[in-house]
Amino acid sequence: MSWWARRNLRTKIFLAFSSLILAVLLATLGFTQLVVSRDAKRTLSRELLTTGQVFLDLMRERAARLKSNSVLLASDFGLKRVIATYDPETLASAALSYQERIGVELFWITDESGVLLTVSQQKADVPRSIASFPPVHEALRTQQPASAIAEVNGTLFQVVAVPVFGPDVIGFLVLGHVIDDALATRLKEETGSDISFVTDTRVFASSLPGRKRGLAMASGQRRAQLLRASTRTSLLLDVGNERYMSLAVPIEAHVARPLYALVQGSYDRALAPLYALQLRIAGIGAAALAIALLVGMGLAGGIIRPVRTLVAGMHEVLKGNLRYRSKIEREDELGFLAHSFNEMVGGLEEREHIKDTFGRFVSRDVAAAVLDGRVPLQGERREVSILFQDIRGFTALSAQLDPATLLRVLNQFFTEVVAAVESEGGVVKQFTGDGVMALFGAPQSRADHCERAVRAALGIVSRLDRLNVQLAQQGVPALAIGIGIHVGEVIAGLIGPDERVEYGVVGEPVNLASRIESLTKATRAVVLVSKEIADRLGPEFSLGRTSELPVRGRSQPVEVVEVLPRRSVAARREDGASPSSTSSMR
Amino acid sequence: MSGAAPKSILRVLATLLAPMACAVGAPSITGRVLAPDGKGIADAVVFVQAPADGAKMPDGVVPMATMDQIEKTFVPGLLPIVVGTTVRFPNHDQIHHHVYSFSRTKTFELPLYKGTDAPPVLFDKVGVVKVGCNIHDWMSAIILVLPTPYFAQTDADGRFTLADLPRGEYSVVAWHERSKSKPEDTAQSITVGSGPTIEANFTLTLGPVRTRPAVRGSRREP
Repeated sequence: MSWWARRNLRTKIFLAFSSLILAVLLATLGFTQLVVSRDAKRTLSRELLTTGQVFLDLMRERAARLKSNSVLLASDFGLKRVIATYDPETLASAALSYQERIGVELFWITDESGVLLTVSQQKADVPRSIASFPPVHEALRTQQPASAIAEVNGTLFQVVAVPVFGPDVIGFLVLGHVIDDALATRLKEETGSDISFVTDTRVFASSLPGRKRGLAMASGQRRAQLLRASTRTSLLLDVGNERYMSLAVPIEAHVARPLYALVQGSYDRALAPLYALQLRIAGIGAAALAIALLVGMGLAGGIIRPVRTLVAGMHEVLKGNLRYRSKIEREDELGFLAHSFNEMVGGLEEREHIKDTFGRFVSRDVAAAVLDGRVPLQGERREVSILFQDIRGFTALSAQLDPATLLRVLNQFFTEVVAAVESEGGVVKQFTGDGVMALFGAPQSRADHCERAVRAALGIVSRLDRLNVQLAQQGVPALAIGIGIHVGEVIAGLIGPDERVEYGVVGEPVNLASRIESLTKATRAVVLVSKEIADRLGPEFSLGRTSELPVRGRSQPVEVVEVLPRRSVAARREDGASPSSTSSMR
Repeated sequence: MSGAAPKSILRVLATLLAPMACAVGAPSITGRVLAPDGKGIADAVVFVQAPADGAKMPDGVVPMATMDQIEKTFVPGLLPIVVGTTVRFPNHDQIHHHVYSFSRTKTFELPLYKGTDAPPVLFDKVGVVKVGCNIHDWMSAIILVLPTPYFAQTDADGRFTLADLPRGEYSVVAWHERSKSKPEDTAQSITVGSGPTIEANFTLTLGPVRTRPAVRGSRREP
């Protein structure tokens, strides 16, 4: 038997409910995780692409603004005048003033050939000629404003170089906005994504705070993969203990190694609503589980209680209590089951009642055989022993006793007869007023029906002796009986019209048995059996005289043998007579 | 503009040099300034670097020249002068101009003015002076301050004539705004004798024409 089959119903229902809810819960959580995280990734990637574009636009716009401001400044006649002084001190102090005015971090002025006239950053170690500095080089070549992202002493700048015309080029203004953490942070505020300016070896500026800043590029392999990826592909990078969706946007710049804007959005933060949602789903799931378990337990109780009641009822019935009725009143299947149970037990009880009642009128064995369907409807030939018993001098007795006493005496007597017959497995087939007819070997087949019949006869005799003692005390004269037994093949079956049908036997042996019984009077034997019976008796029986007697209705005389009651055997032993000696009755 | 300029210059020169010519006689150097492909270069200036043999410059003459402003254009666009020349900048437009130069040769400024009464400016140093107008970025001209009065501007074919040179040996050079070589690198030593005319050609390689935002963005007002 499997483990599952051994569990009781309550456990099964409980487990089934829990598993179902758990499965639904896990499926929901898994599905949500799958859908939302995929969605978050997609959304984040899209946002990063947009941000990357916005970022480039912003940078271009900043460059354009810086350029136009620089162009305006370059056409300032005052500035031109200052440049025309070619006086380093004046230029330096004027440059500081202009730098303040326009709000840039880098402000250089060169002459028309790119030789620095002043440097705004005092500490900066810049060569005197910056003709080769990318934007200046470009502006020198084209005599047009030029802009570029370039590195100055390890710091990134967005730089423009603008020629100053007076009216031909008399110098160049070189202005720059520093690209630092503050700028990255401002860009983050505008775009909503973290931005870092990186090459594959260093981080120039980043909006990521503190420790994460250094980690913006994550591990080498991942970084290389990211920088190799197309500009439309974003990857997940671990930055500290947070995952960032990252997109590398190449920036045209004049630095030693390719420069990228690393646009990053926290994947974990994007998933935060999912985690909150999952927590809620888990909470709801747990609550549902708890409620479902309570409901399940209630439901299981509702199913199991009546089942248990029925099981208990079944035990009662098995013990023989057919009066037991289930008190379950419901409209569902269990109600039907209980109702059916009650009907079934009722049926059993009724059958038992019928058996009892039937047995009053017919033998219990006959009743049982009929009820069990063991009696073939078409009748059968079988060998049976037939016992006839008769009270002698009954007519005189009935005249002597009042009817009530007579019936009481008869009933007492027949009770003993029936008991004696049934104790040997025979059935009392018929009461003939002062006698009975009993069958052995039908309807229940018995191999030793002959011996049984004789034992029953002897039983009747001994019971009668005890009854006579009692009757004597009541002042009733002793009863004397005769019993005749024969064996033979008869036809047995149900005899009579439908409403009065009864089990019976017909055939010559029945008549002969009756005749043998009637011979007891003449032979003054108590128990007289046919030769056929006597031949089949074992040594335990004491046989008396054997006679061949004529029988009415038969041409041949019948050989009969007296069976001695046990008391007689004892008496004879006292007389010294041989129990097995035979003598003629005549 | 290029058509009008040589004539007026010649006229000025003629006025200036007439007395000298009469005193010294009239041998001249003539020739062309050519590009390497043989085409003549207009608006080049051929001039004598320094008089040879200590040939003296004429004294007592205060040379004068004029750079006009007509229809928001400097006229002439190129004005070669001998050092020590005073140049006037009359404004013949109905609007103000603010003429200036930040050139190291001569830095000057004639703040916003109308009319022809602006004070003349003395060019007392040899070199190139680029002149502009503060309120009209496209207005631009060059005043070429030369060491000697012996100079000539080429015509559309690149032809020039240095006339009325005194006898002597001269170092003659050619200059152009876009010339890739310095004038001294083009020097030719020419001896002016009694012969009537000396033929001398110069070859210059020019750089590209530079378009400046101010020029590109210029719009002539109607």
